Amino acid sequence: MPEPLPSQAPSGHPFRRKGRSTEGLIKAFFGGNAALTIVILVLIIVFLLREGIGFFPAYRNELQNYRKSGLEFVDIARSDLTAHEEMGSLLNRAYFAQINSSCRIEMLRSQEAMSIANYLSEATAPAHDALARVKEAAGENATPAELLEKLSAKYRSLLENALAGKSGEGFPPTPHLSSAEQKLLCDQIAARDPLSTDDPPFATELQAALSAKQEQASAPLASFKEAIDAFQSTSSALDALVTETSDAVKTTKEAAVLHEIEVRKRETLLDAAKTAKPELRSQLEADAASAVMTEPVDFNVAMAPVLARIPEFKEANAALIAGLTEVSSKLPEAFSDDKANRYLKAFRAATPAMVAETADTVGKLEAWRADLPVEMGSTISGFISGRDWITGGEWQDFYGIMPLFVGSLMISVIALAFAIPFGVGAAIYTNQLAGRRQQRFVKPTIEFLQAIPSVVLGFVGIAVLGTLLQEVSSADSLSWIPGFPIQQRLNMFTAGCLLGLMAIPTIFTLSEDAINNVPAAFAEASDALGASKLQTIFRVTVPAAISGILAAVLLGLGRVIGETMVVLLVAGNRIQIPDFTDGLGSVFQPAHTLTGIIAQELGEVPFGSVHYRALFVVGILLFVIVLAINWTAQRLLRRFRISQN
Amino acid sequence: MKNPEQLIRRGVHRKGIAEGIVKTFLGCMTWAVIAVALMIFGRMIWDGAPVFFKREAPFVNIDFLTKKTETLHVFDDAEGNRHQLAASDFHRWTESHGSDAVFNEQTFSYCGGGIAGPIIGTALLTLLSVLMALFFGVSAAIYLSEYAKQGRFIGWVRLAILNLAGVPSIVFGLFGFAVFVLAAPVLTDAPADRSLLSIPLGFTHLSFQGWGSSLIAGAATLACMILPVIITASEESLKAVPQGFREASLALGATRWQTIRKSVLPFALPGILTSSVLSLARAAGETAPIMFTAAVAAKDDLPWQGSGGPLGVLTGQVQALPYHIYTLAARIPTSEYTERAQFGSVFVFLLMIFLFSAASVVLRNRVRSKLKW
Repeated sequence: MPEPLPSQAPSGHPFRRKGRSTEGLIKAFFGGNAALTIVILVLIIVFLLREGIGFFPAYRNELQNYRKSGLEFVDIARSDLTAHEEMGSLLNRAYFAQINSSCRIEMLRSQEAMSIANYLSEATAPAHDALARVKEAAGENATPAELLEKLSAKYRSLLENALAGKSGEGFPPTPHLSSAEQKLLCDQIAARDPLSTDDPPFATELQAALSAKQEQASAPLASFKEAIDAFQSTSSALDALVTETSDAVKTTKEAAVLHEIEVRKRETLLDAAKTAKPELRSQLEADAASAVMTEPVDFNVAMAPVLARIPEFKEANAALIAGLTEVSSKLPEAFSDDKANRYLKAFRAATPAMVAETADTVGKLEAWRADLPVEMGSTISGFISGRDWITGGEWQDFYGIMPLFVGSLMISVIALAFAIPFGVGAAIYTNQLAGRRQQRFVKPTIEFLQAIPSVVLGFVGIAVLGTLLQEVSSADSLSWIPGFPIQQRLNMFTAGCLLGLMAIPTIFTLSEDAINNVPAAFAEASDALGASKLQTIFRVTVPAAISGILAAVLLGLGRVIGETMVVLLVAGNRIQIPDFTDGLGSVFQPAHTLTGIIAQELGEVPFGSVHYRALFVVGILLFVIVLAINWTAQRLLRRFRISQN
Repeated sequence: MKNPEQLIRRGVHRKGIAEGIVKTFLGCMTWAVIAVALMIFGRMIWDGAPVFFKREAPFVNIDFLTKKTETLHVFDDAEGNRHQLAASDFHRWTESHGSDAVFNEQTFSYCGGGIAGPIIGTALLTLLSVLMALFFGVSAAIYLSEYAKQGRFIGWVRLAILNLAGVPSIVFGLFGFAVFVLAAPVLTDAPADRSLLSIPLGFTHLSFQGWGSSLIAGAATLACMILPVIITASEESLKAVPQGFREASLALGATRWQTIRKSVLPFALPGILTSSVLSLARAAGETAPIMFTAAVAAKDDLPWQGSGGPLGVLTGQVQALPYHIYTLAARIPTSEYTERAQFGSVFVFLLMIFLFSAASVVLRNRVRSKLKW
C-alpha cells in the first residue's frame, strides 16, 4: 500500500517558500551557533600552532649562532666547572649540616632573642627616630624639655603596647626561650635608654654562646674544612680560563648578531622598494645600501686564539681530577648527623661520574667543530629534555622544559597523594556509610568548595599556609621528618596541598556518581550470599565502580596540571630541577611549572621573539597533555560503563 | 536496629567492630576535608571582616568599596606619630605640613584607598562575558536539543564541547591573547604594520590587527571559556521540557520556531538562567584568562572616565578583582600595612562569589519546586 503523501503546497507557492526559507534560516542560525564551538576549538589549535610553530626554526638558528661563535665550546669546559662547584657545595653543606646539628638549639635561641629585639625596636621606631632627630637638631644646645618629655612618653607607651603584643604582627613566637628568659630580655630592652640601639646583654650572651659552640663543633672538622678549601681552589685555573675565553667568544657573537640584524634590515628595505612608488624607491634602495655597516664575522679567525688554548684546558682539567681524588681520600668515614651523611654519600656516589665526565671533556673539546650544522632533531630533543630554561641573559638563552615539567609533575603527584585518599574515601563514606542527614550536608558542602576561586587559594597559601607549615616544621619534635625544618616558605608541598584541596571536589563528585551508578542488584546479590557490609562495599561495589573512580582521578589530575594561579603564587617559582639528594624532603623545595611560566613571562616578552614563541609551544604541550588525560578518562567511562539493565 | 534483616546480619557476622573502625576512619577523612575548608574560610573572614564591616551607622566600609586604588604612604611626623595615608591624602598632608615633616617614609603600591576600580572591572567583564556566552550558548543548545539529528556534525560539536570544557584556563589566556588581542578585526583608517590581513573598504580599512588588551577582548576570552558550561546546562533544561509540549504545539499547526519560542523556551528559561548564574561565579573567579587580555594592575580612572566616548569602555583595559588580589599577593611583600588591602579584597571577592553561588542554589531549588510536570 503506498504511503499517503502529506499534502503539500505547490512548489512555487509563496506560503511554502516563505515558511521553508525562514525556518531554514532559523535552523541555519542555530546550527551556526553550534558550529561555533568547533570554530573556537579549531581557532585555539590554529593560533597556538601559528605562534608556536616558528619557534623551532628560530631556536635552531640561535643554537647555530651559539655553536658558530664558540659559546658552545666554552660551555663544554664550563660544565666541568659547574659540576666541580656542585661537588664543592655538597661537601660544604655536609660540613655545615654537621656543625649546625650540634648547635641547633643555641642558634635558634639566639635567633629568637634577636627577633624579639627587632620586633620591639621596630615597634618603637617612630618615637625613637623622632627623639634622635630632636637631639641631633639641637646639637650642642639644650633640647626643649617639654618636647623631650612628650616624645619619651610616646616611646614608653609604644613600648608598653609592643610588650603586650599589640603592635604589628604581634609578639614573635619563641619556643626555645623559657618565659623567664623572655621576660629578662624584655626587661633589659625596656630599661635601655630610648636612644640606644645596642643589643641587650642577654642577646649578646646568647650570641657568644652560639659562637663558642660553633667553634667547639668545628674544631674536630678542621682538617675536613681544609680539604674542602683545597678542593675548591683546584678549579681556579679552569675558572680563569673560562672567564677569559668566554669574553672573547661573547664579542664574536655580538658582532655576528649585529651583522645578521643589519642584513635582515637590508632585505626588508629591498622588499619594500620593490612595491614602493617610484619616487620613494630610490630613497629606499639607498637606505638599503647603507644598512649594512659591519663586516661579516669570520668565525674561524675569531675562534683560532680560543682553540689554541686547548692544552691549557687540558692542564686545568687534570688539576680538577687530581683535586677530586685528593679530597676523596681525605673524606671522613661518616658523620653523626643524618643530613651531613646524606650529602657525603651523594658526593661519593657522584665522584666516579664526575671523574669520567671531566676526563671526557678534553676529547670533546678537541672533537668540537664550529661548522657542524645543528640538526632539527637535536633542537627538538634539546627543547624536550633540556635541563635549563634560561631567558633574558646576555650569554645565551636556553629553552629546555624539563625543570618546568618535573615541577608540574611533582606538584601534581603531591596534590593527588592528598586528593585521592580524601576524595575517594569521602565518596565511599558519603554514598555507602553515612546517614541521610550527613549525606545531605556533606555533598553540597564539598561541591561548594569548587566555587573557591583559585587565586584566593593561592593567597591563602602565601598569607597563611606557607608560614604555618614553616612554623610547624621548626618544632623540635618533628625534626625527624625528612626536609624539616622547611627552608623556603613557598614550595612544592604547599602548592600541592592547596591543589589537592582543589581536586577533592572533582574527584569526590565523580567518584560518588560512579559508586551511585553501580546497580543495586550487585549489592543485593552480595548481601544474599552472606557478605558483611564491608565486604560488600570493598569487594563488590567499589570494584564495580573502579573505572568511574579512575576516570574521576584522571579528571582531577587534568584539573591540577592545568591550574595556574595557585602554582604561580605558591610554588616558589625557581626554575630548576629539584635536588633529589634530600630524598623525600625534596618536596619542600621551590619549583616552577608549565602553567606558571606562561603566566609569569608572557606579559614581558617582545611580540614575535623566540621566547614568545617558546611560551606558545609550552601552551601547546599543556593543551595536548590535558586533552590526552581527559580523553583517557572519557574512554574509561565509556568502555567500562555498567549498564543499568 | 528495627530492621530484622540487619539484626540477623549482625548476629551472623560479628564484624561490627571492623565496620565501626572503617566507618569512623572514612568519616574522619570526610569531615577533615570540610573542617579544612571551614578553617580557610574562617581565617579569611576573621581577617577580612574588620575591613569590610564597621561599628558605626552604615556598618559597611563604604570608603573601601567606593574609592579608587592608590599607593599607600606610611610615615612618621615630627612628633613620632605614625600615619597611613593614601596617595591623594598624602599629597594634601604634605601641602599643609610641608614635605620636610615626613620621616621614615615607606610606600606600598596598590594598598591604599579602596577597590572600586577592581569591583567595577570584574562586574563589567563578568556581565559582558556571560551575555555573550548566553546568546551563543543558548542558541547552540537549541540546535542540539531541538533541531539536530544524530549525525557527524553533531558528533563533532559534542566532541568540541567536551574538549573545550577541559582546556586549561591559561591556554584560554594564550588563545585570547593570540586571537582577540592580536588578530581580531577592527575598522581603522591606518592599519598597523603587524596586521594579519587588511581589506580596504574604500572609506576605511578592515584590518585584522586585534583589539589590544581591552575589556572586550577579556570578556570574549571568558565567554569562550564558559561557553561549554552554558551549552551543557541549557541543553539539559531544554531536554527537561516534556515532549508533549512540542507535540501539542506542532499539532496545532505551529512551525518549529514558533513551537520553540512559545512552548519550549519559556519553560526552559528558569533553568537556563540558574545555570548562567553559576557560570557567572566561574567567570568572575578566573584570573589566568584575563591576565594578558584585559587586566591591568593600576588605573587612575574608572572605565567610562577615559577618552574615547562610549566605545572607550569596551576598548580600555580594566582592573579586575582577582587580578588585583594576584598583584597584592605576588608583588607586594606582606606586612601589617598591606593586610587591610589584601584581606579586604579577598573578603569582598569571596562574598561576591558566594552570593552568586548561593543565588544559583536557591534559584535551582525554587525552579525545581515550581516547574513540575
